[in-house]
Amino acid sequence: MTTLALNPSLRITYAPPIEEELTRLIDALGQCPELAARYPLRWLAIQLLEGDDVLRAEVERLGGPLVTQALEKSLAILEPTYGEDLDVAMVDQRYRFVNHLAQRVLTRPSTPPLTMSDRIDRIVTNRWLGIPIFLALMWIVFKLTTDVSGPFVDWVDGVLSGPVSNWMVALLGLTGLGGGWFESLVIDGVIAGVGGVLVFVPILLSLYFALALLEDSGYMARAAFVMDRLMHSLGLHGKSFLPMIVGFGCTVPAIYATRTLENRRDRILTGLLVPFMSCSARLPVYVLIAAVFFPALAGQVIFGLYLTGILFAIALGLLLKRTLFGNEPPSPFVLELPPYRLPTLRGVWQQMWERTSAFLRKAWTIILGTSIVVWLLLALPVSGEGSFADTDVDQSAFAAVSGVMTPVFAPLGFGSWETSGALLTGFVAKEVVVSTMIQVYNVPGAEEEEAVATTVGEDLLAIGGGLLSATGDALKALPSIIGINLAEGEDEQAPDGLTGAIRTGFDASSGGHGALAALAFLVFVLLYTPCMVAVAAARQEFGSRWMWVSIIGQFVIAWLAALIVFQGGRFFL
Amino acid sequence: MLQKVLQALEETQGPVSLDELSRQLELDVGVLEGMIDFWVRKGKLKDSRLAACAGGCGNCNPGAQGCTFDRGRPRSITLT
Repeated sequence: MTTLALNPSLRITYAPPIEEELTRLIDALGQCPELAARYPLRWLAIQLLEGDDVLRAEVERLGGPLVTQALEKSLAILEPTYGEDLDVAMVDQRYRFVNHLAQRVLTRPSTPPLTMSDRIDRIVTNRWLGIPIFLALMWIVFKLTTDVSGPFVDWVDGVLSGPVSNWMVALLGLTGLGGGWFESLVIDGVIAGVGGVLVFVPILLSLYFALALLEDSGYMARAAFVMDRLMHSLGLHGKSFLPMIVGFGCTVPAIYATRTLENRRDRILTGLLVPFMSCSARLPVYVLIAAVFFPALAGQVIFGLYLTGILFAIALGLLLKRTLFGNEPPSPFVLELPPYRLPTLRGVWQQMWERTSAFLRKAWTIILGTSIVVWLLLALPVSGEGSFADTDVDQSAFAAVSGVMTPVFAPLGFGSWETSGALLTGFVAKEVVVSTMIQVYNVPGAEEEEAVATTVGEDLLAIGGGLLSATGDALKALPSIIGINLAEGEDEQAPDGLTGAIRTGFDASSGGHGALAALAFLVFVLLYTPCMVAVAAARQEFGSRWMWVSIIGQFVIAWLAALIVFQGGRFFL
Repeated sequence: MLQKVLQALEETQGPVSLDELSRQLELDVGVLEGMIDFWVRKGKLKDSRLAACAGGCGNCNPGAQGCTFDRGRPRSITLT
């Protein structure tokens, strides 16, 4: 190793007019002993000429009017030559010095050696391979979130609808609150609503696990780079994809992330496209409906929905760029591509935990609140002879309110009050679509008939056994990511009460084309307003006018796309 | 030298990585970072790290490290 002894008197020399003023200023500053004792005077003079406001205030306080006058005079002398760019000239001189010094003391190879990151980037960000690699990784993510976490979803569902519900009923019985409307509120409102959403925690954990791996390894920046290049080549603002990457997690920070775009038109345009990125809140809806109608193809359906969202965003972006938002060439930008690294267990877990706990917070606030409102409206009879909490759901206030929207959705194949109600409450948050569907399709009779009295010990043993069995099934499902199905030949599960009720509902509203209607429903959920908080964020960032354009535009696009899926599918099938 | 950074950004076609830009300008990445920070302070460049989510969505708890979803966003620098 070579060490270099630098000349201690070595100093950066600025242009002669600046040097003259520095000398003058150092003299003035030197007349104040307090300043001379506290700071190196040349450094202080440089900072003052570069416009450091904090130091200037202190110098004026300690040095008095003499120093202030000297500084003002120096700035006035330099102003005609440098204008407002005096600091630029001085900083530039420093970088010249550093660069010159580096060139003298460092020997660099004429062709820098390729690092491991460079080698990986040659493949991952390759013009032709970049997008197929991005799609392949997305495919693995969705296979992981559906197939591998599926057994854990069934396990949580079994625990909540079995032992937890039974314990709750027993507890209410012991406290004298059982058998009445309060039990119905707890079991059919809170546990069915909130619990129905909590069932999907394993799905979200695996999604966040995959996203954390992609982010911490450094790949996500490459994905943005590859997609930016594609969008840029289409004439779109490539940088729009950066907020969209955030949109896979949550639309709200993605809307705020549009602030990084330089002009308002680009910000609004991106703000209109971001909601088409499928946020994690929509995933439970996809998983529920795909499990009911396309159990063998759930991964493919969900992957297709994510891809559809991206394609819609690009297509709409192109359309808007050529119409409402002019056709200005997109401006380039610098993207930081951090070196690849192995994600740490701690980092991955931290991200999984933070994001999942955010979801749990939402479950106990927004989702719980909406579930209680839905339960109240379902418990309130508006026709028939039922009484409060003892009425047929289709005679409830919720059915009557939701029924108003039914004709709007009828051409899309899901014009029933149940689905209309779920979509209506889904405006609050997308997970609420699931909780509402579980509440409105609730078929309590089926489970009650099968219920067998068990002790707490037996329940705990069953929960532990169920977890072991789910782990085994998840391990068996792992090879399915690469197309090997170890679970093949196992008995297909008979549809339970909820699955059967959802299937019957969609079949009835679509004239026997339930699967097609379900697909149209999923496309609608993908494309319509993500949630009320995203709406509030859009209002804050772009104003009320664009908020309404966004709400109405997304609704119209979602409606048309679902119409094409359902009516087009009926035409071809 | 400082002007070269702005000029390179104005002339480049499509997104460019920080490493690529440093090679193009024959500058060390650390030096380039310093120059970019200077232009960000001057308001000529915009750094995405400084435009974080304001929070309040009920989804996240923006503390010292900001919104957990927003942290996944790659860093980018643009001309203003």
